[in-house]
Amino acid sequence: MTLNVLKSTAAVLAMTVAGAAYADKASDTLKVAFTKELENVDSYFNSSREGVVLQRAVWDGLIYRDPETNEYMGNLATEWTWIDDVTLELKLRDDVTFHNGEAFNADDVVYTVNFVADEQNGAKTQRNVNWMKSAEKVDDYTVRIILKEPFPAAIEFLSGPVSMYPDEYYAEAGPTGMGLKPVGTGPYKVIEVTPGQHFVLEKYEGYHDSPKGQPTIGKIDIRTIPDVNTQLAEMFNGELDLIWQVPADQAEKMSELDQFNVLNESTMRIGYLTLDAAGRTGADNPFTKQKVRQAVAHAIDSQTLVDALLKGESKVVKSACFPSQFGCEQDVMTYDYDPEKAKALLAEAGYPDGFTTGFYAYRDRDYAEAIANFMNAVGIKTEFNMLQYSALRELRASEGTPVSFQTWGSYSINDTSAITSQFFKFGDLDDARDPEVRDALAIADSSTDPAVRTENYSKALKRIAEQAYWVPMFSYNTNYVFNNDVSYTPTPDEVLRFTTMTWN
Amino acid sequence: MTMTNLDQTVDPLLQEIVGPTPGQRLRGRVFGHMGLLIGVGVLGVLLFIAIFAPLLAPHDPYAQALMSRMKPPVFLGGTWEHPLGTDHLGRDYLSRLIYGARVSLMIGVIAATISGVIGTAMGVAAGYFGGRVDTVVTFLINVRLAMPVVLVALAVVAVMGGSLQVVIVVLGLLLWDRFAVVMRASTLQVRRRDYVTAARAIGASTPRIIWSEIMPNIANNLIVVVTLEMAHAILLEAVLSFLGLGVQPPTPSWGLMVSEGKNMMLFEPWLVMIPGAVLFVLVLAINLMGDGLRDVTAPEDRS
Amino acid sequence: MLKFILKRLGLALLVALTVSFISFTLLFLSGDPAASLAGESATDQDVAAIRELYGFDRPMLVQYSSWLMDALRGDFGESYYFKLPVASLLAERLQVTMLLGLCGISFALLTAVPLGVLAAIRPNSIIDRFALFLSVAGQALPSFWFGLILIVAFSIKLQWLPASGTATWKHFIMPTVVLGYYAMPAIMRLTRGGMLEVLSSDYIRTARAKGASEGRVMFKHALRNAIIPVVSLAAVQMGFMLGGSIVVESIFALHGAGYLAWESISRNDLPTVQALILVFSMFYIVFTFLADVLNAWLDPRMRTG
Repeated sequence: MTLNVLKSTAAVLAMTVAGAAYADKASDTLKVAFTKELENVDSYFNSSREGVVLQRAVWDGLIYRDPETNEYMGNLATEWTWIDDVTLELKLRDDVTFHNGEAFNADDVVYTVNFVADEQNGAKTQRNVNWMKSAEKVDDYTVRIILKEPFPAAIEFLSGPVSMYPDEYYAEAGPTGMGLKPVGTGPYKVIEVTPGQHFVLEKYEGYHDSPKGQPTIGKIDIRTIPDVNTQLAEMFNGELDLIWQVPADQAEKMSELDQFNVLNESTMRIGYLTLDAAGRTGADNPFTKQKVRQAVAHAIDSQTLVDALLKGESKVVKSACFPSQFGCEQDVMTYDYDPEKAKALLAEAGYPDGFTTGFYAYRDRDYAEAIANFMNAVGIKTEFNMLQYSALRELRASEGTPVSFQTWGSYSINDTSAITSQFFKFGDLDDARDPEVRDALAIADSSTDPAVRTENYSKALKRIAEQAYWVPMFSYNTNYVFNNDVSYTPTPDEVLRFTTMTWN
Repeated sequence: MTMTNLDQTVDPLLQEIVGPTPGQRLRGRVFGHMGLLIGVGVLGVLLFIAIFAPLLAPHDPYAQALMSRMKPPVFLGGTWEHPLGTDHLGRDYLSRLIYGARVSLMIGVIAATISGVIGTAMGVAAGYFGGRVDTVVTFLINVRLAMPVVLVALAVVAVMGGSLQVVIVVLGLLLWDRFAVVMRASTLQVRRRDYVTAARAIGASTPRIIWSEIMPNIANNLIVVVTLEMAHAILLEAVLSFLGLGVQPPTPSWGLMVSEGKNMMLFEPWLVMIPGAVLFVLVLAINLMGDGLRDVTAPEDRS
Repeated sequence: MLKFILKRLGLALLVALTVSFISFTLLFLSGDPAASLAGESATDQDVAAIRELYGFDRPMLVQYSSWLMDALRGDFGESYYFKLPVASLLAERLQVTMLLGLCGISFALLTAVPLGVLAAIRPNSIIDRFALFLSVAGQALPSFWFGLILIVAFSIKLQWLPASGTATWKHFIMPTVVLGYYAMPAIMRLTRGGMLEVLSSDYIRTARAKGASEGRVMFKHALRNAIIPVVSLAAVQMGFMLGGSIVVESIFALHGAGYLAWESISRNDLPTVQALILVFSMFYIVFTFLADVLNAWLDPRMRTG
């Protein structure tokens, strides 16, 4: 240990003598901050936004979806056809080379798909890969992907989380080795990894003619800095060039300064309260009464939450889904902000003096606190509990919570099945347990007829709103802050794309 | 086996409590009184504020006004409507500070009481009975000292879910070590005194000897440790809240206020400066009082 | 002496064992790690699959004993989060923490010892009062607040020092001060107290009577005697300090063991948290052990305890 300390002391001194490398346009190095520690660069073995950012930079998928037009284009594949409901045949490019020199061909696709689709290999987000059964090689540049059952979103997933790994290298290195020395076909290659802390990417000169575009910035230097203030401080003294997910207040202040650009994009994540209508925390729980749930909906001033706290592109949300999602009915019962009406409803329900209840949240403490205060104001006293996500999830799954402030990002999938159907089909996290809602969702999810789907999602969402099982409040947004040397246009899917960044 | 040097290596403060040198005593007589006066004075004012918070606070500390968030204090261009400005939810900062005095003092007093009871019981038992009791107690003290307080407290609060009660109990259960060390050493000193031997000779019961002969003679040391641990608990609560695993909103705790203000530290530093400064003054006052008490109450008959 | 060391070593091992058991028990009660392992966007099936894979259903004592056996061989298991051996994670992160700890304790010693000596030479002088005030005030200053103030002053307003990271020696200045100041009051008080005691002893009076110069008396005779307990105190404080580096590392974004601990707690990464509690405890245990041995070696009266 002492030896190591001496070594690192020496290293620190050596660096000082050599002079620190400064982030700037002159050295062609873009310095970026991550907020969370990324557990593993191997994109199948992490589940964070930071991981997606690296995945898009280091690897490629077979297909690509243009974030502006939502049009699917070939990336590692040039064309694809459905042989039948569960077989997709793809023609591959023959001019692609991995960062380590290995040529890309059908073997790589077959190995990657077969590896991640096997549950035993423990890919972290099973939902991304468990719809695939296997892959077969037809010839060197033709493969077939076999599905377990018909899956309409297959193309969406192949252009998103499913990226292609080099078979020989991956077989040898495995997820851990891949995480430490990633190898892909993407626009940037990884030249340095300090797990969780520091990642250095370098422009891949041999990048193929991809719809992602060609990278222009030479090096991307990414450090994990957990505290937003520290990130901002580093922006001020030039040690960082770009940060994202900046809270609204700070972003607003930064935008007042000349040396920074602040851009805001909406995201598909919505914030809502889920109320214990099914009485899982106790049959006499006040939230089993419709009037009490409606009182909560009237007590919360969503518009002010959006205007004062979330700001930017955030919108008030009335239905239990994100408005752009397919099937997200907007013509549902709405509840105006009306504290007097809320009190009246509580009195009608038999709580003229209000009551005390547990209030649970796992993120955005200040939003949660403001929401709880709105409830306090009409006489519902809250016992505030801020838990870790995992702890709250477990609690909700095992015994439920009376009121919980939740958010859901739908994996950026533009379909109501990615949100409403996840929570109202009698799963562990279903606080309503309403058969009427469940049945309508079941029909909508399994149908291939858009008219049938729309009709049944509408039925379910109207019922949810009328019963006030959820109190949907707002959609989220993301702020990107970068200095004047950098030019970048963010996309609504909350993924940083280094390829489209340029120096001014 | 005992660790005879426990009280010296851990903290020289303890050594001073147990037996100050003549030089220290002299210095204490001069400085202690002044420090004591300042400490008691400031603490008295804060206590007064805490008790009469409802009468003194200009606004409801829980009433939020989202459209008037982070209004600056009057000395930075604000209005007298909110003399110290408003917080991130538009609540009156002065009112929250006033109510926050209650929370900090409550945490300090209750946590120090819990740990005081545990630590004193262990320390007195070890000092009075010696032998195996002493061995066990000394061992427990060693175990406790070896556990990193902040880390363990964070882990426990993370498991239990943060709330005022949980934080108080966790701190109370963690901070008894200094009580045990000092009470053990003090009891050892007192135990050999004539009046204890006399009481034992006339057949007084053990609880009676401890209660009426030992306790009164170690009470002065106890009071000093109480003040130190109050300060310690208040600071630790602030650390836990700062790291997001302490007292939960909307409770107006000063530590939580620093943590909440931290988000806007670069642009509105007063949000962090004001509660941090008040916290510093409170802890300083308690420490000054403790220091003063130690010097003033050091019994004359000790060499 | 050997007997003392052996007894003391036995005690240290027993303490370490107890601490490991307590921390294991505490964390065992922390609920289902499977949910946190699976991540925020996992489905119920993901969680169930992971629960089965890691076998979290075994009885506690079984899990503890197998963990302890592995730990004795230096194998702390695999981090749930990073999927890397905890031991290698620790080896890497501890470098920063140890370096920070050494800087911090050096800073504390280099400021507190001279201040303590000066205060002792002129009791009740301005310096003495200043030192005393500093020691009382230092213990009242919340470290996180102090750190934030330094960042605002030196990184934002003056732009002299970088606010985060470990790339150059400049990065270590503020963390060193914030970590080190907390140990200063104790070291200063002990130096001052020790010096006062030594200075009033017969031994120094004799030296003075013999006509030794004042400087020689101070440094050759007095300080040398007064510094011994300070060294062992510094060892113990260093143990405390490493445990307290969580706050400093999180403020200055130093990727050391303290920051790893904080993050691992929020991620329910049990193997890492357990190993960290044990390692931080071991630091304290080892440092106190060394301090005790040092004391016993210098002062034979201590050995009988």
